[in-house]
Amino acid sequence: MNVLTNNKIKCTIALAALEDVLDPEIGLNVTDLGLIYQVDFDEAGRKIYVTMTLTTQFCPMGESITGAVKQTLENIFHEEEVLIKLTFDPPWNYERISEEGQKYLNQ
Amino acid sequence: MFTGINNDTGVKTTTHKAVLPFYLYAAISFLAGTIILCGSLPAFTRHYFHPHILAITHIIALGWGTMIILGASHQLVPVLIEGRLYSNRLAYASFVLAAAGIPLLVYGFYVFNMGWPAKWGGRLVLLSVLCYVINLIASMWKSNAKNIQALFILTASLWLFLTAFFGLALVYNFTIPFLPKESLRYLPLHAHLGVIGWFLLLVMGVGSRLIPMFLISKYTNSKLLWLIYVLINGGLLFFLITFLYFPGTSFIIPITALLLALAVFGYYCHSAYRHRIRKKVDEQMKVSLLSVAMMLLPLIFLVSISGWLLTEKINVKMVLIYGFVIFFGWITAIIFGMTFKTLPFIVWNKVYHKKAGMGKTPNPKDLFSNKVFSVMALTYLAGFILFIAGAYIANFFMLNLAALLLILAAVLYNYNVIKVVLHKPVIK
Repeated sequence: MNVLTNNKIKCTIALAALEDVLDPEIGLNVTDLGLIYQVDFDEAGRKIYVTMTLTTQFCPMGESITGAVKQTLENIFHEEEVLIKLTFDPPWNYERISEEGQKYLNQ
Repeated sequence: MFTGINNDTGVKTTTHKAVLPFYLYAAISFLAGTIILCGSLPAFTRHYFHPHILAITHIIALGWGTMIILGASHQLVPVLIEGRLYSNRLAYASFVLAAAGIPLLVYGFYVFNMGWPAKWGGRLVLLSVLCYVINLIASMWKSNAKNIQALFILTASLWLFLTAFFGLALVYNFTIPFLPKESLRYLPLHAHLGVIGWFLLLVMGVGSRLIPMFLISKYTNSKLLWLIYVLINGGLLFFLITFLYFPGTSFIIPITALLLALAVFGYYCHSAYRHRIRKKVDEQMKVSLLSVAMMLLPLIFLVSISGWLLTEKINVKMVLIYGFVIFFGWITAIIFGMTFKTLPFIVWNKVYHKKAGMGKTPNPKDLFSNKVFSVMALTYLAGFILFIAGAYIANFFMLNLAALLLILAAVLYNYNVIKVVLHKPVIK
């Protein structure tokens, strides 16, 4: 999985937590779907910056997915505020689905 | 820009309040349509220009098919054009005008009163379509993304406007004759502008995006979609011009164009299916894909009755079956499939978007009963086939049984739609 970060340990925890956030249509979590591009943590431990995308721009479920990402990370990192940046540059494509995700979809 | 507010992430879509009324209205219209069908079976052994046939056709074409497409497209257009819907108010206005106009129009046809009920019904429907077209054009104007699917929807909406305008002109022509011929002579034109220009073009445009999206397919081919666009619009324009100005011209060119467009669209859907990433295909997608294959059925009937358009030797029975396979076959099947691929997501979003991440929520597909859906699909298919057979051999027992099966399918459809709409939040 190709997620940029400035803190590998915390990023691994964050991505593991985000495995609980599912894309309601596809049924696959946002981590394996490859929607998360970057997770950065500020040095003071107060903020988490998440850069992510959606499978399609103006996706009707977009608000729910970004909301769930924010809420899930705030549940894990109690002291930190989660700030989300939604980007479509580069746009999401099927190559971003992880091997686990591909296996799930092939079932 | 980073933001911490859930609902300010730049992904706001059309409010459910502007979409759900269309779905509910369509569900009730379908039930009403099947009930009227059941009570009007003797009309199916007479001429297609029968008041009850006109009433059934319009409640199904407008109340069922058009209303659900208008509702769904208010939600889907932002996805296709990658921009927001221009106005929710225009969407509400479109609903209110159509909701008031359709029953008046249907009543006008049923009792064959081409006075105020049909005229006001037609005017209100036309205004509703105008609101929709303005909303579409303004939304697309403000959007940066221009794509072929958006062009399909825009062109289809213009054909719908022309169909409604022409339909209203035909209603007026009954009481104040101003057209060169009587209204009956123009029915094939009015019907095909609506069926091909509005329904077929829109279903293909939206389907070309949604089918690969729901199958999670990598397949895309805009060249093929351009070819389909040119074939359908070119064929329909040819039909329009020759029908009005060159009567007696063979319809082989528009029918061939249509056949080619269907073949190319079939190939497109098949390619999307073959390149899908998700191997498991759910029931709703199966019904939607079946409806793509069902597009061929009306075409077979069209070829068989096209001679009449030239020779004026009317094969009334075949024309009636042709209309039935369009509205109760292809259009109904695609609505059945797509309702439960869109409505549960709209409601899920309404119920859970502020509760996201707070616990385990049901999946959108859990909001309706899949068992009821399967029974509905089987009941519908049995009723549909039985009705065609019954109409062909003019057997009232078969027609009655078929109509009852279709009513049952409509009841089951309404049950699932209401179950979805009334869903209350469940968080574990």
